[in-house]
Amino acid sequence: MKTFEHYTSKTFEEASELLKQGKNVVVAGGTDLFGTMSKAILPEYPEAVIDLKEISEGEGIKDNGGTIEIGALTKLADVVDSQIILKKAPAMAQAAHSVATSIVRNTGTVGGNVCQDVRCWYYRYPHEGGGRFLCQRKGGAECYAVHGDNRYHSIFGGMKAGITPCTRECPAGTDIPAYMEKLRAGDYDGAAEIIMEVNPMPMITSRICPHPCQDKCNQLGNGDCVNIHAVERSMGDYILADIGKFYPAPKTETGKKLAVIGAGPSGLTCAYFMRKQGHSVTVIDKMEKAGGVLMYGIPHYRLPKHYVDDFVAALEGMGVKFDLGKTVGADISMDAIISGYDSVYLATGAWKQPILGIDGENLTMFGLDFLVEVNKYLKKVAQFGNNVLVCGGGNVAMDVALTAVRLGAKNVTLVCLEKESEMPATSEEIERAKEEGVTIINSRGLSKVVEKNGKVIGLETKACTSVFDENRRFSPKYDEADKTIIEADSIILATGQRVDLDFLGNKYAEKIKSQRGLIEVNQESFKTNLPNVYGGGDAVTGPNLAVRAIAAGSAAAKHMSRDLGFPFERGVKGSEFLSCDAESVAVKESVKLKEVPLGQRSLDKEDAVSLSKEETAKEAGRCMNCGCYSVNASDITPVLIAFDADIVTTSRTIKAKELFTTKLKVSDMLEQGELVKAVIVPDMEDYETHYEKLRVRDAVDFAIVSLATAYKLKDGRFHDARIVLGGVAPVPVELGKVEKLLEGKTPTAELVKQAGELAVKGVVPLRKNQYKITQARALVERFVEGAGK
Amino acid sequence: MDGKLIHIAINGEQYEFLVSTRKINGAIPPEETLATTLRERLNLTGTKIACGEGACGACTVLLNNRAVSSCITLTVECDGKDVVTIEGLQDPVTGELDPIQQAFIDYYAFQCGFCTPGIIMAAKGLFIKNPHPDRKEVEDALSGNMCRCISQYHALDAIMAVSEKLTNEGGIKA
Repeated sequence: MKTFEHYTSKTFEEASELLKQGKNVVVAGGTDLFGTMSKAILPEYPEAVIDLKEISEGEGIKDNGGTIEIGALTKLADVVDSQIILKKAPAMAQAAHSVATSIVRNTGTVGGNVCQDVRCWYYRYPHEGGGRFLCQRKGGAECYAVHGDNRYHSIFGGMKAGITPCTRECPAGTDIPAYMEKLRAGDYDGAAEIIMEVNPMPMITSRICPHPCQDKCNQLGNGDCVNIHAVERSMGDYILADIGKFYPAPKTETGKKLAVIGAGPSGLTCAYFMRKQGHSVTVIDKMEKAGGVLMYGIPHYRLPKHYVDDFVAALEGMGVKFDLGKTVGADISMDAIISGYDSVYLATGAWKQPILGIDGENLTMFGLDFLVEVNKYLKKVAQFGNNVLVCGGGNVAMDVALTAVRLGAKNVTLVCLEKESEMPATSEEIERAKEEGVTIINSRGLSKVVEKNGKVIGLETKACTSVFDENRRFSPKYDEADKTIIEADSIILATGQRVDLDFLGNKYAEKIKSQRGLIEVNQESFKTNLPNVYGGGDAVTGPNLAVRAIAAGSAAAKHMSRDLGFPFERGVKGSEFLSCDAESVAVKESVKLKEVPLGQRSLDKEDAVSLSKEETAKEAGRCMNCGCYSVNASDITPVLIAFDADIVTTSRTIKAKELFTTKLKVSDMLEQGELVKAVIVPDMEDYETHYEKLRVRDAVDFAIVSLATAYKLKDGRFHDARIVLGGVAPVPVELGKVEKLLEGKTPTAELVKQAGELAVKGVVPLRKNQYKITQARALVERFVEGAGK
Repeated sequence: MDGKLIHIAINGEQYEFLVSTRKINGAIPPEETLATTLRERLNLTGTKIACGEGACGACTVLLNNRAVSSCITLTVECDGKDVVTIEGLQDPVTGELDPIQQAFIDYYAFQCGFCTPGIIMAAKGLFIKNPHPDRKEVEDALSGNMCRCISQYHALDAIMAVSEKLTNEGGIKA
């Protein structure tokens, strides 16, 4: 064992104070702690160990008349032998006696037992054995048991142990596994509700987002990542097919007025959430149609414009007003907007061309303008030639290059500063560009435009030796001696976009413009320096992903509405346990969108076809629903839950069921420094109580399945039965439905069968633990069968 | 921790140790287990270390008359307590063995003998609490002691013989 400081506490309060400091742990019996420490099972090692054994008030069993108080530091061996417990709560003694071995029970305590960590072999793999498994429970990403040996794991599903990588990587924080689970169950409405909590336009994001959510998917350790965007797309199509249902007008009006400036992804998202709250929302935009970059910046073949039109129509259906073709600062003044509305959301994007300052720049085209022109007219614009050179390495540059190809340009070349591995464009987009014949030239910077009689004939480039400095900041270095000319008759610059805040006028710009020329907002509240004016999207961040702008629109709406006195009620709750499909998660290959063949791709038709419902369900089945699929190890907790015991901590008294089943870990339910001091078990003398434990060996082993029961028999009929399974899920499972079934009934053969069936209804076993269903069922059947005998 | 003096009675003798995180010659670091202290500082090597995580029972000693795994017991946490190891069972004056030890010899209740001290100490803990255990109680008390030579049956016979003998003689001295 590595060293640590050691403190001996005489009171719980003293220990609690010490526990709040640094990375300290408490030790009661130590039967688990010192093993985990010496084998370096956990990534964090404590700085200090606080011994609780000397807290005299913590040990002992007291009959308080009606209840029995068991100190948290009471040894399990003493629970086993206690005459009070044997008489008034025998299942407690049985459970305590079933723990490990007599030597362990001589040291192990009640408090330690109920607070113990799981026994999953991945979780507990010793570090010295080749490195520990950093599973999700330990702060990592995945549950290794889902693909691995899961014979002792949960048959009722897992529980989230942290944010899954897909949700973490998604700027909007979409609970992707939750909607996947709904889709596996065929519940499209439930799935839609989950995604629309954070993103009102999945039909759009699924088509344009570079889906960072897929980059760290745990299925990558097995095969393809889950094709999240393809699944999202099916959901988006489903939502769009029933606009009335998914975009209902608010039931009540708040009377508050909001102006959104900019009808792009951020503004529309903010409008959606604010209108949903019942606020009056007006979206103002200088373009003829709403959608911003979705409408004008993204090519049709990636996002057909009817999706944008339909989404905007859905918002109109909710009662969002659009004031289009109006330029703020020219047609409407900022003063009028600020005085005419309760809140203002600025989301004007990043549309301005940056000036590079190279010779002949005036002869080039700005990439975004080019896309806007093509999107508007779906045809060639005037200066367009046959040898097109696109400058830039991002996704916009890819869009420009592919649009040029589809407009019929003979040769399209793309030049960028970055090496291929450094290019900001996604690898999918780079591959697509190459597939469609775009020549990509890496590691060259722009030197000057070569012209002849005022016409472009090429671009002089210079070698770019490095793009980023040691702090990963953009700081390109060139070799001025290494210059070459790339021939071209058109040059389109897609080397970035800037934010244009001229519309604000000096009076307001002074107040809210940052040094970098962006709108300055509080990152938490999205408030600008002007009262009731908020900002978000590219105008705040500079050019970024649409989904990040969506996230800002949704977060800003939440703050704006709260500030107006109408806080959001948020949070669709997922199911109690996470489930995954044991067979489908083993599938290595993802279901992919069907692409239109190379020769048939066009400027105005979408390149890919959405998945069918069957395909969607199949791909959703590959989601591992990452969480922790281990099982509770304690023998005492199922009994405490069955007895409806109270747990006394240093700061409160809490029901056993709440403490032990709400969250994955007991420690997550306790505040910092909070310690379990005692358990209060009701006098159960009027009940029959029992603890049954199935395992391989009669001693040592943890429960494979256990069952804590308590019931009364009135005239041969069940009354107030309590049935709690242990070892079958991350937390003990109270079989409420079976309890209800038994109430008032006599234990007939038919009832035995019904109870057994009901006990395991809805189980979601993993690949190697189906036998546990039989065991759980047998325990419940045996319990009903044996009642009164 | 600058240093803390602790007192432990081991096999009837009082010992004083300095526990400290500082590198003081002879001081016990807080992470030192009782098994290590017994074996390496006091040369009481009858207590064995095998699994090091309280699963095998080879390191069993009595702590305040209860059988515990000394490999997962910190020495610092034994302050003021009473420890008995296999070496403490023999009568220091007459050299007479504990009845359990004698029974193990009489019943050839070991092969390699590595686990035997742990088994005897676990049995001793049982007899202190329950002078006349039945076979089931003995099995339960020894459930934490592993043996790879399959000496278990002989060990159980030896311990049952002691239990029955004690039944006739009226109990065992703690």
